[in-house]
Amino acid sequence: MKEYNIVITGVGGQGVLTAANILGWAALHAGYKVRLGEVHGMSQRFGSVISYVRFGEDVYGSMVPEGKADVMLSFEPVEALRYVNYLKEGGMIVVNTKPIVPVQVSMGMASYPSLEEIRKVFEKDFKAKWIGFNAEELAEQAGHVVTTNTVLIGALTQIPEFPLDAEHVREVIKISVPPKAVDINMKAFDLGIKAAKEILEL
Amino acid sequence: MAKVSDIVLWDKPGERVLLLGNQAIARGALEANIAVYAAYPGTPSSELTDTMAIVSKKAGVYMEYSTNEKVAFETALAAAWSGLRAMTAMKHVGLNVAADTFMSAVGMGVEGGFVIMVADDPSMWSSQNEQDTRVYAKFANVPVLEPISPHEAKEMTKYAFELSEKFKHFVILRTTTRTSHARGDVVLGELPEEIKQGKRKFGKFKKDSSRFVDVPSNARKFHPQILEKIEKIREELNNCPFNWIEGKEDAKIGIIAPGLSYAYVKEALAWLGIEDVKILKLGTPFPVPYGLLEKFFEGLERVLIVEELEPVVEEQVKTWAFDKKLNIEIKGKELVPRIYEMTTRRAVTAIAKFLGLETPINFEELDEKYEKVKPLLPPRPPSLCPACPHRNSFYAIKKATGGKAIYPSDIGCYTLGLLPPLKTVDTTVAMGASIGIAHGLSIAQNGSLSEEQQGPEKQVVVATIGDSTFYHTGLPALANAIYNRSNVLIVVLDNLVTAMTGDQPNPSTGETPHGMGKRIPIEDVAKAMGADFVAVVDPYDIKATYETVKKAIEVEGVSVIVSRQVCALHRIGQMRRRGEKWPIYYVNEDKCTGCRICINAYGCPAIYWDEEKRQARVEPTMCWGCGGCAQVCPFGAFEPMKEGEQ
Ligand code: SF4
Ligand code: SF4
Repeated sequence: MKEYNIVITGVGGQGVLTAANILGWAALHAGYKVRLGEVHGMSQRFGSVISYVRFGEDVYGSMVPEGKADVMLSFEPVEALRYVNYLKEGGMIVVNTKPIVPVQVSMGMASYPSLEEIRKVFEKDFKAKWIGFNAEELAEQAGHVVTTNTVLIGALTQIPEFPLDAEHVREVIKISVPPKAVDINMKAFDLGIKAAKEILEL
Repeated sequence: MAKVSDIVLWDKPGERVLLLGNQAIARGALEANIAVYAAYPGTPSSELTDTMAIVSKKAGVYMEYSTNEKVAFETALAAAWSGLRAMTAMKHVGLNVAADTFMSAVGMGVEGGFVIMVADDPSMWSSQNEQDTRVYAKFANVPVLEPISPHEAKEMTKYAFELSEKFKHFVILRTTTRTSHARGDVVLGELPEEIKQGKRKFGKFKKDSSRFVDVPSNARKFHPQILEKIEKIREELNNCPFNWIEGKEDAKIGIIAPGLSYAYVKEALAWLGIEDVKILKLGTPFPVPYGLLEKFFEGLERVLIVEELEPVVEEQVKTWAFDKKLNIEIKGKELVPRIYEMTTRRAVTAIAKFLGLETPINFEELDEKYEKVKPLLPPRPPSLCPACPHRNSFYAIKKATGGKAIYPSDIGCYTLGLLPPLKTVDTTVAMGASIGIAHGLSIAQNGSLSEEQQGPEKQVVVATIGDSTFYHTGLPALANAIYNRSNVLIVVLDNLVTAMTGDQPNPSTGETPHGMGKRIPIEDVAKAMGADFVAVVDPYDIKATYETVKKAIEVEGVSVIVSRQVCALHRIGQMRRRGEKWPIYYVNEDKCTGCRICINAYGCPAIYWDEEKRQARVEPTMCWGCGGCAQVCPFGAFEPMKEGEQ
């Protein structure tokens, strides 16, 4: 495989960097050359964030160019939409559908698009396959909202031709979370897998 | 995923690991047997310093968080003068702070290797300007090395120490956000015995006043010596392992790719499917080694220089080609933008244009499609965290001054007070500048209290500055304001850490990575300097903060309020680690009148508007339990949830 490109989007503090790091280590263990690109500093604080995960034999820069992402993993629907131009034609989007409303919207200075509108842009204009579900709810089911991250990564591993083995990824998560959180994370991972499978088989 | 601190110190040569560019540089410094490291944090350089803080004790390296870049520079420089390998790191604007020492000491050279890591931030992801450190390097006649990946960053760090020691000259290791904050596979090298055993190294300073005192008679000798050195280094760099020529040997088209641009060029060429070119990969954008240019230009008819920001390499190459009377077309900034960061798209577009080709993706079409998406997107700028004490400080300042004061502020997370609804930041220029600007503003509208004539109407000026920034460059400005008697209120937003760059300690924190610093309370400094009014408040008590601000603006002269409450992000992080809980607030539906004060005047990101019920709501996963909303709401609608309700 020459290269595989993932962009991860969300709101600062949601765990975008952690997700990228987990996928990066899984790719490294799988023997690929790896590049991750991320934003630090002020931009992280509840602002919009994007991270890049690239691996394969032929990767150089740490940023995925526009129009070249095989898949987008998004923690928040509007933040998925903000970076839709990164997806390649026929790419896939795995998205947590639970919105985080920006202060500007609460103040009445801007409005928040409906989920249907967002989905339409992905499916119609950008010809992407949409895998959207409320990952936060599943994380709560697993035991804690902080595992939203793990739910989404679990779902990601199910998309067709995803080059990393789900069990590989699971192992990395296992050793990267605190020991007492392993069980709920494994549960969250499975719930993510199940959710994606259900949507993909529809 | 082992802990980074373990990986950076792993005694496993040959092991492949995933490291952040900045962490890879730390590992490189350890492999180079560094003895002293001093820096002031600044994005995107901070993780290098933080990594050194974590591993320094085990590795026997002296490490400090200095109060600013100039002091850090001097600390490391003195160690290098004493024969030790030493390093300092900063962001691009930090070099401006250190520039006085940097420019003056370069002629003195060093004994032990001295590496200055400078992290540039093209596109200004987290910075106040866009600045190309390579221009500084050229100005000072200091060689600059620029890596293309975390692995190369590690290797280059080692090489930088060797180069510095060989020529007894400063060396700059320049990164950009995309190398400092890129993660990539790194192959670990050998660690020296002393580092493995954690043995501290000590140096010896040999006095030589003809070298270390820059009186004019000495300085006059330095300048020609510097010029001579840099030409020798230019020659040496012909054999630098980070410079090479690749691609088709008899190609007519050549591309010069300095630093990280090489990565984008490689990707662009693969994407365009072009093989018929020769590439000069330049790890040393200054000085460009002429011998290598000679070899590279052989047989070429056209050359494109794909370079980020300033035409530093382009100017050297064009001058060289002009002097050589080469009849070769050389293009650079005509096709490659001079502003913002390089991307693969930019490289592809420039190369395609240079060769008269189409880009592999129709970017214009993509942009047009995206233009239609834009109106759907609500803005989401970064914001002050939930429970951030600065929100309360700004809220109280604004209320007490009726929004009619001028509000100079400074560099730190609190700069975000600029955004609605708080809007209490009118100016931000550079570290520590808020106090100097406030002083100047007050003098301009009110005049100085030491003069006979005063301005027609008193204009209230309220400056805000963080604790770390106060110690960074606020101190001399405070002395100036007090001495020259302007009429200002300075609110020091003391959250007891340098929060924006990742919770590094400073004199207000008191702790150091070694655990035994000495705390310097800001109010003591203000009193000792002779401020006309000094008070300490807890911003979590909004009413008390408001009243103190009211009192302070009535005082003639320089008032200092220390608004002290620990950074919310820092506090929550520690509570999470300890498995502790905090109260979560909710809106009592019976009490909320829908007045929107909590949203339109206070703006905690955990509070949102419920369109259906026309009431405020709290997002429980985002509430960090400060109780600020409860103090702000005139109807007492915010209440903490009872245990078990969460
Ligand atoms: S300030 Fe109080 S009453 Fe007004 S909208 Fe907010 S919660 Fe409701
Ligand atoms: S207590 Fe209120 S102001 Fe504080 S974080 Fe929670 S919602 Fe925000």
